[in-house]
Amino acid sequence: MKLTATRWVGSLSLLAALGMPGIALAEYPEQPITYTIPFDPGGESDVTARFQEPHLEEILGVEVNVNHRPGGGGAVGWSEFQNSAEPTGYEMIGVNIPHIIAQPIMRENAGYETDNWKIVTFFHTTPNALIVPKDSQFKTLDDLVQYAKENPQAVTLGGSGTFSANHLGALRLEREADIDITYIPFTGTGPLPAAVQGNHVSGIFNYSMLGVQMQDNARVLAVASEERVPALPDVATFKELGYDIVGGAYRGVAVPKGTPDEIVNTLQEAFAKTNERIAEKQEPLGFVMTDITGDEVDEVMQQLKSAYQPILEEAKANQ
Amino acid sequence: MDMLLEALFSILTLEGLVTILAGVTAGLFIGALPGLTATMALAVLLPFTFTMSPLQGLMALGAVYMGAIYGGAFTAILINTPGTPSSIATTFDGYPMARQGRAYEALAAATIASVVGGIIGVTFLLLLAPPLARLAVVFGPAEMFWVALLGLTLVASLSSGSLLKGLLGGCIGMLLSTIGVSPIGGETRFIFGIPALQGGIELIVALIGLFVVPELISMAAQGRGALPASGKLEGGAGSAIMRMGRHIFGKPVNLIRSCIIGQIIAIIPGAGGNVTSLVAYNEARRFSRDPSSFGKGNVDGVIASESSNNVMVAGSMVPLLTLGIPGAPPDAIILGVLLMHGLRPGLDLFTETGVLTNGFILSMGFAAMFLLPVGLLGGRLIHRVVVKTPFYFLLPSIAMVTILGTYALRNSMTDVFIMLLLGSAGYFLRLIGIQAAPIVLGMILGVIAEKGYVQTMLTAVVDPIPWLRLVANPLSIVLACLVALSVATTLLPGWLERSGRMAKVDPDEEKPS
Amino acid sequence: MTLRLNTDFAAGLFGLLFAAVLWFPREGMGRLSIIFPRAILVITVALSLALIVKAFTRPAAREITIEGSPRRLVIMIAILFAWWYAIDLLGFLVATAFVFFGLTWYLASVEGAVSMRRLAQWVPIIAVLIGVFYLAFTQVLNVRLPSGIWS
Repeated sequence: MKLTATRWVGSLSLLAALGMPGIALAEYPEQPITYTIPFDPGGESDVTARFQEPHLEEILGVEVNVNHRPGGGGAVGWSEFQNSAEPTGYEMIGVNIPHIIAQPIMRENAGYETDNWKIVTFFHTTPNALIVPKDSQFKTLDDLVQYAKENPQAVTLGGSGTFSANHLGALRLEREADIDITYIPFTGTGPLPAAVQGNHVSGIFNYSMLGVQMQDNARVLAVASEERVPALPDVATFKELGYDIVGGAYRGVAVPKGTPDEIVNTLQEAFAKTNERIAEKQEPLGFVMTDITGDEVDEVMQQLKSAYQPILEEAKANQ
Repeated sequence: MDMLLEALFSILTLEGLVTILAGVTAGLFIGALPGLTATMALAVLLPFTFTMSPLQGLMALGAVYMGAIYGGAFTAILINTPGTPSSIATTFDGYPMARQGRAYEALAAATIASVVGGIIGVTFLLLLAPPLARLAVVFGPAEMFWVALLGLTLVASLSSGSLLKGLLGGCIGMLLSTIGVSPIGGETRFIFGIPALQGGIELIVALIGLFVVPELISMAAQGRGALPASGKLEGGAGSAIMRMGRHIFGKPVNLIRSCIIGQIIAIIPGAGGNVTSLVAYNEARRFSRDPSSFGKGNVDGVIASESSNNVMVAGSMVPLLTLGIPGAPPDAIILGVLLMHGLRPGLDLFTETGVLTNGFILSMGFAAMFLLPVGLLGGRLIHRVVVKTPFYFLLPSIAMVTILGTYALRNSMTDVFIMLLLGSAGYFLRLIGIQAAPIVLGMILGVIAEKGYVQTMLTAVVDPIPWLRLVANPLSIVLACLVALSVATTLLPGWLERSGRMAKVDPDEEKPS
Repeated sequence: MTLRLNTDFAAGLFGLLFAAVLWFPREGMGRLSIIFPRAILVITVALSLALIVKAFTRPAAREITIEGSPRRLVIMIAILFAWWYAIDLLGFLVATAFVFFGLTWYLASVEGAVSMRRLAQWVPIIAVLIGVFYLAFTQVLNVRLPSGIWS
């Protein structure tokens, strides 16, 4: 069993390395890094990680292995990571807002906590977008709001998931515009194009990417970003139209709590450089590239938490 | 037409053909390993396609997809284990055939059916994509609910023996599918305080457990291998292939019907390949002159299942390429690749970038053709390995691959435990007459039915009588009638027999399995 | 081995037990989440009761046959679970090396005692079998297999 023998040697040298953090640190990174995606292959998080993988490898000089640990809308991967990942810098996991904020509030036992890790960076956001069928009676956002005011609950908006970015966006629209609409959760983004094109719902609240993808056969009424999305220059933001709705999904990466700062910095730089390189490919798809790091992460988290908490708690009470 | 020719020339290069051949072969082996699905095969391949040109990348992905869906048939026939969920129905008759020493015949039939199915799917895609795509969007939540119910009527024909037990199995499957986060509502259900259960019971984990583990246990108990060692081929492999070819093309009705079913279901988003082969199998059985021979080694069952699921490969590209709607899970990855190369689904894909799109479609046709040599040779090899390996090596090897495959699916040892638990329970359930097939069917369709029903109820909150929304448009009414018809045609013969002439065999009589 | 067992009754009983396990944690779930499972639970109970009634009026098979040795059957199940436990504890390679070899030995001894020479011959064969799949999964498919206490 030669394999077992080499494995033994490998394990021993790893033990030795762990015993001497100073030396190990100086050379970080020196072995393959595991990059866990807590979602199924093929989703936005996975595709982004695949984009990043070759660049991260080039910048860091070691292998970066993307693997999946899907389940429970990310919760299975996150709870396992918080329970068992070592703060060596060789294990990192993709994290998504609002998932990591909403799940621990909404579930009895999500198995993880919102803050129990060190978030390295949020590398992009995908703002929400309100999309209606091409032949829809709603030409503008005002049409939709007006109709919803006159016909409570009659407007049905589809979206991906419950208490997801889409759902929370729809709930905020209800509050801001003082209307009563019906949100219909679908599983993932996959079924949404069919729901719009087949007129099964009045519209959908999904990400800007779908708005770009469906330009030819649907109409985007508004996007929920601070500034207009580069890939959708003709679509107004909710803010421009008078509704204070900014939100969507933030995607980033986290390492276990207690990971040395030097390592976190190295990873931050690597992701920032990677972002520059892949922006050219991702921006036209509707992604908004960001580089939210350090204290800014806490700020963003705090801000979104206070925005979502009351909505979530009200929803929980109504259940 | 010029575009088509140009596309043809662009793939008919040495590099192109080698890409397809390598893709088909790789896909075949990944698909044959239980737990490694077509989706996973595509995900693993994805980084490699970044370094290729868009066309070559898409060709590789299409070829792997085609190979993986077909590869599932190998294990389905040889060790009663659907390598991918789309080959569940292949086990029903494929494995009994193998146990009778007709494994190579079953493999040959599966191969020929897959090749024909693949090519027919490509033809549909090339000629009829725009009109077919219109069908894709008419299936809303209410229609999906009826489609799921229509699928569930299959339980009646899958439960060899007692209908009550079949239905109970279906319910157990549906309940298993509700464990985890609810698709609508977002709450965790039935997780008993265990965070790892939030991920629910993955279909493939249950599939491997319920099909493989009982087989392993009974192989150990009986001290035998998967196949009888005496499985001598009548007149050699060549003659088996010829015989199957004559059988399939001599009476092509079954093949044609299965391909059409495969194409229609492939277009319905969310139903996917898991359902196509089951429905095609059921219809083959319903229209057969001798339905009772199904499940006991009737080659028509293998043909129906394998032809329909390979139609699905190109068939599910119809809504994907025209509307950006992924019809089956692996399509999501292909969509990602298209977007990455700046290709937006829509009719432009067939005009502006027509050479690329047509090249991709044609390459899937070539991939289907390559299945013939690769499959027949690979089949011969794997068949020989399974028959010749002494059972004391074969059994631990299957167990090891099963554990590896289950683990690799979601990198989870919990899944391995669930697989073993369901498998051991499945062995005893089989003894008391609750078969694996209805349970798995319940798991597949339960999710679809639940989403369809709850979404319909949500859209109907403003209606005075919400459930009327379920039959609010012509298509849903037609589907509801089909469900009723399907129930009637399965139950009626039994009732007539019982009330009219009791002379025939009691349908409730248990058959030893 | 043949056991006397009314399979209709057994299936009905199993259905009831299964439904009971899921019936109790159903409390406190939102309307949208419970609609479907509740309906299926009710159907499950109805089907189970129907089977139990049928068990006494028109029973199907009254006996079941376990083909082969029931002892080997139980041991096989135990080995599979032990394998799972060992992988978590010892990591994939070590656990599989032991369990694979042991299982092969156990199964081969069905046909009679196994000589030391054969055992020795198996070592390279099993090493290759495990090695090939280990490398295929870790290197080609990039799966990180459990390494147990060695990490």
